[in-house]
Amino acid sequence: MRPGVDDIRTLVAGAGVAVEAEDALLGVVARVAPHDAIDALSAFRTGGYESLVDFDGTDTGEAIELTWRLRSYSMDCEAYLKTTVPYDAEIHSAWNVYPSALMPERETAELLGLRLAGHPNPKRLFTTDGIPPLLRKDVAIRSEEEVKNR
Amino acid sequence: MSDARDDIVTVGLPAEGTHDPGTPPAGIGRAPTGVDDLATEHLIVNMGPQHPSTHGVLRMLVELDGEEIKNAEVTLGYLHRGIEKLAEHRRFDAIGTLMDRGDYVSGIMGETAVALAVEQLMEIEVPRRAQWIRVMMAEINRIATHLLWYGTMGLDTGAMGPFLYAMRDRESLLDILEAVSGARMMFNYVRPGGVVADLPVGIDTKIREFCNAFDTYVEEHDAILSGNEIFQARLNGIGVIDAEKALAFGLTGPNLRAAGVDFDLRKTRPYDAYPEMEFDVPLGATGDAMDRFSVRMEEMRQSNRIIRQCIEGMPEGEHTAKVPKVLRPPAGEVYASVESARGEVGIHLVTDGGTSPYRMHYHGPSLYALQALEDIIPGHLIADGCVMIGSTDIMLGEVDR
Amino acid sequence: MSPTLAVIIKLVSIIGLMLTNGVFMIYLLRKVLGHLHIRLGPMHVGPHGILQTMNDVIKLLTKEDLTPRLADKALFYLAPMIVFVPSFMAYLALPFSDTLKATSLETGLLFTLAALSVVPIGILLAGWSSGNKWGLLGGMRSAAMQIAYEVPLLLSVLPVVMLAGTTDLGRIVEAQAGVHLGFIPGWFIANPLLWPSFVIFVIASLIEVNQTPFDMSEAESELVAGFGTDYTAMKFGLIYLSEFSNTFIVSAIGVTLFFGGWLVPWIPMAWYDAVPVLAPTVFILKTYLGIVLMWWIRGTYPRVRIDQLMDLGWKRLIPAALVMIVLTGVVDKLIVPLVTGTVG
Repeated sequence: MRPGVDDIRTLVAGAGVAVEAEDALLGVVARVAPHDAIDALSAFRTGGYESLVDFDGTDTGEAIELTWRLRSYSMDCEAYLKTTVPYDAEIHSAWNVYPSALMPERETAELLGLRLAGHPNPKRLFTTDGIPPLLRKDVAIRSEEEVKNR
Repeated sequence: MSDARDDIVTVGLPAEGTHDPGTPPAGIGRAPTGVDDLATEHLIVNMGPQHPSTHGVLRMLVELDGEEIKNAEVTLGYLHRGIEKLAEHRRFDAIGTLMDRGDYVSGIMGETAVALAVEQLMEIEVPRRAQWIRVMMAEINRIATHLLWYGTMGLDTGAMGPFLYAMRDRESLLDILEAVSGARMMFNYVRPGGVVADLPVGIDTKIREFCNAFDTYVEEHDAILSGNEIFQARLNGIGVIDAEKALAFGLTGPNLRAAGVDFDLRKTRPYDAYPEMEFDVPLGATGDAMDRFSVRMEEMRQSNRIIRQCIEGMPEGEHTAKVPKVLRPPAGEVYASVESARGEVGIHLVTDGGTSPYRMHYHGPSLYALQALEDIIPGHLIADGCVMIGSTDIMLGEVDR
Repeated sequence: MSPTLAVIIKLVSIIGLMLTNGVFMIYLLRKVLGHLHIRLGPMHVGPHGILQTMNDVIKLLTKEDLTPRLADKALFYLAPMIVFVPSFMAYLALPFSDTLKATSLETGLLFTLAALSVVPIGILLAGWSSGNKWGLLGGMRSAAMQIAYEVPLLLSVLPVVMLAGTTDLGRIVEAQAGVHLGFIPGWFIANPLLWPSFVIFVIASLIEVNQTPFDMSEAESELVAGFGTDYTAMKFGLIYLSEFSNTFIVSAIGVTLFFGGWLVPWIPMAWYDAVPVLAPTVFILKTYLGIVLMWWIRGTYPRVRIDQLMDLGWKRLIPAALVMIVLTGVVDKLIVPLVTGTVG
């Protein structure tokens, strides 16, 4: 179910955060600036969104777009929070607000080449040292020479 | 971050935040105490990836004080195949093969999630028969998954028998799945627009036979384990994940319902033919291992009920909508989620109008269950740790992806 | 025949019995568990797989004998011996019939139980010396368990000793001859006074032989393979041979103490002399029945937790066994003589 766009706008703006909210195909999406993300998440949490059910990032070709998927079980609805950070940026961990962010944050940071701040265990999650951030668009799954020599 | 993978992390707890603090997981942020007042040494043991009860390739660094686990840290990545990256190079109808290899025991549900996402983008109307087939196959697969979990739950508590009895039933389910889809585990059966092939002739008799037999078998399974005094003593009150903690750690599926939160995507966000099905959503009370056990046992009974409804009321019609050979969804972004056997499997699909996804994020419930495990295991005995790992039913294929 | 030769023949036959018994029991275990688990067990080597264990013995004998780098070498080699020798010794006092036994010890029962109680020390050594943390945990569990179950095991057999008036296993069997009321066997199990003791004995002996509800020191789902994690080839073989042999011994003790040993009720004593193989056959059949019952439990039950086991041993079994000793004494020496008027 989708919450009202205005509700989300008021909810996030209530935390003193500049927000753009829209009703997209994805769902109701609130966009904030990277440094406001944690405040916006706190606003969601206090606003009845008990659970962070998913967190991921996308390499848009110019920057990394982070998406938090939040669910309120009491209101029976989902909302999305998005922010865009530059490559190699440092993101602040949201685990104080939503403990479920712990591992997905490590995963996203590792696979998209971000750095984690304020995380209790900021190690790599899946791959070993020296593996490039795999989900970046400039990391090919097989180098061109390898494909040619196949 | 360099070569610290083998050490228990020594970073202290973050300073008191200005935000509403979530409960810090007990397993994280505690330095190894090493030597305490009595000069007894803590033992740091590598539990996994070859440990028998870590369900695949989970590795836990466990700090032991005698038998008691003081600290447990999950180390992942032994099954990392980069499914999300690979999906960016696959055609939309071929992503199902990757999903089968994610949660490799309940492939149908993963495939359905991708199919739903693509259908949502392309606004494809799925024929009614295809929806019913999907539901039936998903429920057959759900029972097969739960049976595997049931068997390994027995093994984790040291009972050998239930596993083989569960395999007997699972075998007939896999035969049905094979007859329908052509494969026993890697189905690639559910495609955007419907399913790849119609049901074979005569399969309804086979499924009906199974449904009838399973009515008695599931009672038998329940009696063998949950009727056992020792088993109850091992599970009751162990590994409590109450509703608050379950929500904080983002648990979904049976693990969440065992804590008493009534949320089943099949009911609250019905997809495919689920609105037409009659079934109950079992709930637990306290969220201990026994609740998780009972919830899954009851889910098997309910799945059997759904399968029976499907086979009795299977509508006639096409098994797939008219879709182009090469799928080219318009540029956009959707999130589709289905109720898999382990919880919510979500697909966050970003497209750019090409023949393969621009970005596909695969959300598996087991990663979130692992975080909760990190939190609840410390303070328990090794044997309880195994029970907790078993009862949350994690699947490393979808954790590592 | 010189006494030395007789001793050598006896020892060799015990080794022979132990080995053939071990080989047979492994096959039987696989078949029993197989059929309990709706599968067939070994089927390919020989008809119905009867030669499978032979294959495995050859495999164990020819496998590379690895010693972990961190192991305490001397103890690592010694441990399988310390596990094996006591279970070998425990055969000495077992009466297979009136005459067929290695020795006739006055303290046969105590000797057998004492010999078996050395086994956990070997297991502790095995776990500790292999330099493996899982092994260490398994060994420590085994040591902790030994204290918790040896006491109730010994206490639970005392009522039998009080009734029989001896600890000589052969004479305990003889005390069970005859029938009550013309059809109830004179076995001690027919005496309701001994039923609680029998239950305690069964539980304690399941722990003694590491069978499933209590197989903590091995606990494959918790401790990988416990004390045996780092053992390979014949060292592994010896540990497991002694485990099977211990299963046989506790079952044999149970049969001797409660089920009349080699006695068959309702037949005259002269038959045992006329057919010399009757008594040993009966004894071994009864023992195997006991073993199969243990494996039935093994194939069905989950494992208890180590602290639950400790609770069971210290808080339930020991007090219960003590109560039963007092009760047996009061009933046997006071009430029964009073009722039957045979005081003094």
